[in-house]
Amino acid sequence: MAEKATIVTGTVGQDSHVIGIKLLSRYLMEQGYKVIELGGLTPAEEFIKVAQETAAAAILISSLYGMAELDLAGFKEKCTESGLGDVLLYLGGNLAVGRHRFEDDERKFKGMGFDRVYPPEVDMAIVVSDLKNDLKAKRQA
Amino acid sequence: MEITVRNKKWEEDRFLNERKDVLSRWPTGKEVDFEEAVEYHKGLPDYKNFTRVMQKLHREGRTVIFPRGGTPILEQEIELNKALFEAGLPVIPLTPDSYCRLGQYAKAQQGLEASIKAGQPKLNGYPTVIHGVPNTRKVVENTEAALNQRLTNIGGIRLMAEIAFASGITAALVDPLLTFGWYEKKTTAAESIEEYQYIQRLIGYYAERGVTIANDTDGINANLQFPMSVDIASVIIVGMLGAEQGVKSVIPRISMFGHLAQDIAWARVLRKLMREYLDKFGYGDVIVPGLALDQVPLFPHPQDTGMSFGFLGYSATVAALAQGEIVYVRTIDEAAGIPSKEAHAVSYRAARFIFDVIRAQKIDLDIASIKTEERITELEVRAIMDRVLDLGDGDVAVGFEKGVQTGAIDCPLSSNVNLKSKVLGIRDNQGACRYLDFGNLPIPEEAREFHREKVAEREQAEGRKMDLNAVIQDFWAFSKGKIKGEPASRGYNRPRGGFS
Repeated sequence: MAEKATIVTGTVGQDSHVIGIKLLSRYLMEQGYKVIELGGLTPAEEFIKVAQETAAAAILISSLYGMAELDLAGFKEKCTESGLGDVLLYLGGNLAVGRHRFEDDERKFKGMGFDRVYPPEVDMAIVVSDLKNDLKAKRQA
Repeated sequence: MEITVRNKKWEEDRFLNERKDVLSRWPTGKEVDFEEAVEYHKGLPDYKNFTRVMQKLHREGRTVIFPRGGTPILEQEIELNKALFEAGLPVIPLTPDSYCRLGQYAKAQQGLEASIKAGQPKLNGYPTVIHGVPNTRKVVENTEAALNQRLTNIGGIRLMAEIAFASGITAALVDPLLTFGWYEKKTTAAESIEEYQYIQRLIGYYAERGVTIANDTDGINANLQFPMSVDIASVIIVGMLGAEQGVKSVIPRISMFGHLAQDIAWARVLRKLMREYLDKFGYGDVIVPGLALDQVPLFPHPQDTGMSFGFLGYSATVAALAQGEIVYVRTIDEAAGIPSKEAHAVSYRAARFIFDVIRAQKIDLDIASIKTEERITELEVRAIMDRVLDLGDGDVAVGFEKGVQTGAIDCPLSSNVNLKSKVLGIRDNQGACRYLDFGNLPIPEEAREFHREKVAEREQAEGRKMDLNAVIQDFWAFSKGKIKGEPASRGYNRPRGGFS
């Protein structure tokens, strides 16, 4: 079996909420992935820098404080400029302030270039299964 | 290791030198007139002094809610406090916006101006530093309750404390270890302790002139299922750090985690050991006017009004049974945005019914399961304190820093990279919090054995190994209205919650 991919994880912006992304990171490690954990309060640029340095196959970003739209403006474009156009971008959490519908958040962030968008209570097995399938599709493409 | 901070009272010269710098960081610093502020505090009625309100609640055997609050526009802040007071609350927080907490005062000013222009909040709290003394005095004068300035993070809080106290606010959340564990990423414990020592020294400076400002302390609490022994030790340490700087009133806080016997036991152990350690280390004149309990941090998600009422009712019941003076709860519609006046009122009426009915019975629970949890928790807290004192050669500031480096102080999944986060917690078969991984915590063998047995009991009952999947299921259990995650056969086979 080929060596499993490197995945970069963290919570973006001024947000310290890390429990969800840390649980997910451990879960991914148990599944055999190499996980680079950037933790909370991670600037968007740091995800890109670390993904470049580690030749990561995917970036998994968490945000719970509602300001992801500001923190991730132009993120996909910056990834492409940095030669990371092929890297999978996943985003999950509480993605807007105040009352909001997940379907709207999903549409918005997919429009911004994210491959997968998840609500806070997503089943981790689904995330990992999506990741596995998406990585496989990339390899075959 | 280079020792950068000690638990030693700051010389007055050092304090006054740093004070000049603190007061020059924003123009409103000039409004602080210490001597005038001392006189102002002395003229305040008892019901505006947080410590005296807590003492009165204790004497009368009452429990009340400590709500959430803090909104940028002055008139709306006053209006909110009036609504909270009318809902029967004698203690009210003043929660600041994030920019002020971090010292980004110019941004906070822009945010305040934008809020005033729009007539609605654009900041996530009351920018105390920007409003300055005259405005914040208006809040004090128009609030018929005792106020508590919430202080978290690093960078902006020293001046915030100066403005708040000069305005007549009589309590503050001053907790370097909470900020270290859950708000900061790279700041060390030593750096956080030093940042907050200034504020504790300032409280001491007021105390020297007969003004009592309360220091409430949360500790380095875990935010998912985990025994509270490290948290209790850290709350005691913050109390000792404050006492050394001259703080004369300490209000400890403890989180609930949903297991009735454990929640009550933790509250009792904290109250007892806080007093004991203060006395033992020469801080016998420091009062502990009351105890704060906090709701379980695992708020049900997605939110449902019925479940929110149940959640609130649990918090109120435990606080009353544990004879706490105040309890932090959220309103029933908090997750939907800023709570309405009606939501505040209906939530607090529900809680008050529980407080009044239970506390009138003067019930003192003396049951085996609580006693057992008390005994185990006390064993653990004493062992952690012993290790910290040992590592620091009697100095809790040095010992805490070294404890973090060696893993003797640790908590699960913290935001701070300096903590090892090697530990993990799991529920036992009855839903009590146990260690799944002890990391390097100095837990005595007797307690280890107890936890291991309890975990094994659940493994046997559910026919599966307790592992990361079970930890994640436990984390989401409250959102399903359960105390613990359920095994695969009952339909809870898949771990949830990757992005919460």
